[in-house]
Amino acid sequence: MTMTKPPADEATVTPSALRGRLSVTQKATLSRLGACLAGSVVLAVMIGDQEGSTTDYGYAVRQAFGGGRIFVFLGLGLLVFFGLTFSTRLVPYLTRPGITPLVSGVAAVAAGLFLMTWYDGAGVGDGKFGGVATAIANTPQASALTAAFFGWLAYAALVGILVIAAVAIVTGIRPIAWLGAALGVFVAVIAWQAHSDVVDIAGGIDHSLGYGAASIGYLVMAGACVMVATSKADVAATREFVNRVLGWRPGLVLVAIGVVLGVAAFAVARWFAPGNARYNTTFGDTSAVFDPAGLTSSALAYLDYLGWILFAVSAVLSLSGCYLRNRVLAWVGGVFGVAASIYTVFVMYKFSDLAAKLSPNDGGTWQNLGTGGWMAGAAFLLMGGGAVVAATSERRADASDAKHRNGESAVDGEQMPPSGTAVKTKSGLNTGFLSAPGASRSAVFLVIAFALFYPPTATSFWQKVLVTEIGIYVLLAIGLNVVVGWAGLLDLGFIAFYAIGSYTTAYFTGVLPIKPPHWLIMSPLLAIPFAVAVCLLAGVALGAPTLRLRGDYLAIVTLGFGEIIRIVANNADGITNGSRGTAVDPSRGVNNVPSPEIHVGPVNIVWGLNQLQYWYLLLVFLIVVLLAFRRLENSRIGRAWAAIREDEVAAQATGVNTYRIKLLAFAIGASTSGIAGVFFASQVGFFNPDNFVLNNSILVVAYVVFGGMGSLTGAMAGAALLTWLPEFLKDQVPGADRQMWIGAVVLLMMIFRPAGLLPARRRRAELDGLHDEDSSSVRAVPASGAM
Amino acid sequence: MTEFMNFLILGLTRGSLYALIALGYTLVYGVLQLLNFAHSEVFMSGAFGSYLVIHAIVGTGAGTPGWQVPVIILIGIVTGALTAAAVAWALEQVAYKPLRRRGAPKLAFLISAIGASFFLSQLAGKLFNRLTSNSFPDFFNIDSVAFTIFGANVRVIQLVDVLAAILMMVMLDRLVSKTKLGRGIRAVSEDAPTAALMGINIDKTISRTFIIGGLLGGAAGFLFGLNFSFGNTMGFIPGVKAFAAAVLGGIGNIRGAMIGGMLLGVIENLIPTAPWVSTPWIGTKWTDVVAFVVLVLVLMFRPTGILGERIGRAA
Repeated sequence: MTMTKPPADEATVTPSALRGRLSVTQKATLSRLGACLAGSVVLAVMIGDQEGSTTDYGYAVRQAFGGGRIFVFLGLGLLVFFGLTFSTRLVPYLTRPGITPLVSGVAAVAAGLFLMTWYDGAGVGDGKFGGVATAIANTPQASALTAAFFGWLAYAALVGILVIAAVAIVTGIRPIAWLGAALGVFVAVIAWQAHSDVVDIAGGIDHSLGYGAASIGYLVMAGACVMVATSKADVAATREFVNRVLGWRPGLVLVAIGVVLGVAAFAVARWFAPGNARYNTTFGDTSAVFDPAGLTSSALAYLDYLGWILFAVSAVLSLSGCYLRNRVLAWVGGVFGVAASIYTVFVMYKFSDLAAKLSPNDGGTWQNLGTGGWMAGAAFLLMGGGAVVAATSERRADASDAKHRNGESAVDGEQMPPSGTAVKTKSGLNTGFLSAPGASRSAVFLVIAFALFYPPTATSFWQKVLVTEIGIYVLLAIGLNVVVGWAGLLDLGFIAFYAIGSYTTAYFTGVLPIKPPHWLIMSPLLAIPFAVAVCLLAGVALGAPTLRLRGDYLAIVTLGFGEIIRIVANNADGITNGSRGTAVDPSRGVNNVPSPEIHVGPVNIVWGLNQLQYWYLLLVFLIVVLLAFRRLENSRIGRAWAAIREDEVAAQATGVNTYRIKLLAFAIGASTSGIAGVFFASQVGFFNPDNFVLNNSILVVAYVVFGGMGSLTGAMAGAALLTWLPEFLKDQVPGADRQMWIGAVVLLMMIFRPAGLLPARRRRAELDGLHDEDSSSVRAVPASGAM
Repeated sequence: MTEFMNFLILGLTRGSLYALIALGYTLVYGVLQLLNFAHSEVFMSGAFGSYLVIHAIVGTGAGTPGWQVPVIILIGIVTGALTAAAVAWALEQVAYKPLRRRGAPKLAFLISAIGASFFLSQLAGKLFNRLTSNSFPDFFNIDSVAFTIFGANVRVIQLVDVLAAILMMVMLDRLVSKTKLGRGIRAVSEDAPTAALMGINIDKTISRTFIIGGLLGGAAGFLFGLNFSFGNTMGFIPGVKAFAAAVLGGIGNIRGAMIGGMLLGVIENLIPTAPWVSTPWIGTKWTDVVAFVVLVLVLMFRPTGILGERIGRAA
């Protein structure tokens, strides 16, 4: 641990240093101005299409600085500078109630209007708001309201509500705020209506989410206005408010989301959508289509009336279970919701299968469905999940409720004056709103519902991204988290194990030039144990000689190992088919890796080209690995890893065999990427050494640290976010620039939140220190022990 | 023998450039105990910076009078070094200083440096171009031979590389061992808190260390670009090799970085092409593997590198 004197900021200047005080603040102001202007110049350069060429290197620079753009950005930079410099005068306004939701609402609307797609069928360009607006302007059959919304209303409402809310906040005149709230609700409804108008006119299947973000954003802005209008406090206490909403009645938020989703599913969403506009039917019409077709009576009953009844019963059960905190009722609601969810999927299978048999051209089984059924399934699951949360966290909820009653009885409305010390201790080790009772379980159910029911409704592009990018890298990040996050060993060559897993699969499926004995050639899923074993051995083989090295040496050795594996795969033509990989080549006996298959008794599943199948297979892998690792985290081994990470010498002194435990971390991490390798190889079929470049190893480390070292949820969130981002950016910036933006995001994240997105509680304690805040700010040089 | 000498000369050329880059890694490692992942982009920026200036001076370079050539090379080295020093300074201010203030964990520094590295290399790609093989104007014949030794040609440019590198390394060695700034750097790398108590401004020392590393790396970037080719992703491989070289010589140790760089350059070019191992399997495509295998072997038998870490560093 190395310590040095704290940087001299204004707060710590002692009276003896008063003489230099003015110059210190002036200096700080100047450097802030410089930073703001430099930042705006960099942003101006980053935006846009400009790119130099060998013949004209200055082209990009002229583009960036020649036009008016540079002045716009310099102006923005100055705005930020003044905002920061006079922040003391702004803060009283910025902490008023309603500001936080207002800002989030504006952000959501802006994302909806400028970033997300509004219609992803053909004919409207990129399908963003602007593109749809142009198309609508040329479409006479659009209603006046729709045309107005796409023409000017959406922007006008955004600015209008913002101005109204700002005026209300500054002046404190409540009727103005109510006006803003009414406007927000009104526009939210129009946004939804305008979008369904677009879908009706265009007639295709629509997967876009922009209208949802915009509607929710307008609603949130309306809610912010309501808060402004009703609050009696001067200072907002957003964290307390959110804590209370989530913690007050655990699971209620989840059930509410489920009910809203369910209403949308049963009332407006398309259930059957074979791609032909005439047949796209909502829930109410679907039974009419399948009644004469001879659908199974149980499925027909659901479509006729049972769906509505199930939904109503589930909503009532879950709501009352949560609201009354009746454990029995909640359990019944939970079981009912989950069962209804399964039943919904069964019904969808039945009519989808029937339709596929009747008219094969409209898409096969599962292919001819709209979003409605999946939404209903998610709604049932969320309602059931909320009830389960309520049933399982009742005791903790009671305790916290008692605390609320005792500690905050004086609070009226939604606001609570911040009580200095109490808030401070809360912000210390708590992970914010996630610490509210039942909140983390609610989050788990949300993620489950999303993972199960979102992918079928996504476009095929996003399904592919989910499988080949997000899913696989989440699995890899979970594996690397063992090595980096838990054991604190920096491994910069993790992709090597992934490569070994992939090549092992290729070997045992008999598609490489070098083949196993013919009786050993097997289907990919059976190769899992072999791939895991080989990766385990590789991990031990790499770790055994190198794990006695210190952190940075280990990093460079693993990096070298990763490169060696890739180059060997590239050069060892006779074994791996070199740079051609597993491309089909009968003359060398090389073929694509076959798809997975399962043939056990009556179960016959063959994975084909449909990405969804792979997604659910991957989900199974993920859940198995996750369950195992959750057990591991707090086991004797997991605690030994934490001990080594924090202080290796101390761990050794207390009897931990550090070498063996570190080796174990390496082996377990490697075997996880073996599973990922099997999945990858059998999913893509064709791969070559270019899939395993050093950059990918570094990216996986970045995912783990970005998400929050040492926390499973953090590693998964980091990997999911950073693999999703480039695909999302595809629609926003020139493709070649994506890595630049990602680099910037990672950099900013580390500057402002060095512990990562969702840091593990133990690591937060290491970082923040268990004592006062000052101890962390005086560390000029990072402690050499902690990785 | 000719073959051997050819590869030895190539190895020495590359090795001297590795050594220059490795010094940047080792200096930063000395004061911060951190792997400065973005140093490869500092190196890259040197090539682009000097290119822009040289291009402005000589245009396509055709018909440049002979007496101007040394001046232009000197200008290239200086502008490359200055550009890279500016980038290195900005890098420290943006990607390292805020994290130091917050006492972030060590890996956070690495990740922020990785982010900065992606950002810088792609920004350069956006600004200039994304080709991997840009080349400097032909202001002199790059193939002109200085002298011949054992039948192997030593090209002028190779001579310039090696001599410039050695000169700069000697200057750095003087700087660190004789000047006040050098004493400060050594003191901070020995024991930062105590150095602070002795009146050394740690922030300034660290940022000057980055600048020195940037100067050397930028000069190497220019020389590398002149000798081979340059592009926005040119930094990655030499960067990794140079870090390996720094570790090979003993990280934190300045002379170690020089020796490690030279050694790595020579080994990776000699071993895969040497006659005694010439089978169909071996060839230049194994260059990188040899480099890393040697590194792993050295670390296994001498974990602190050839010259060892500086005293006070091992912990």
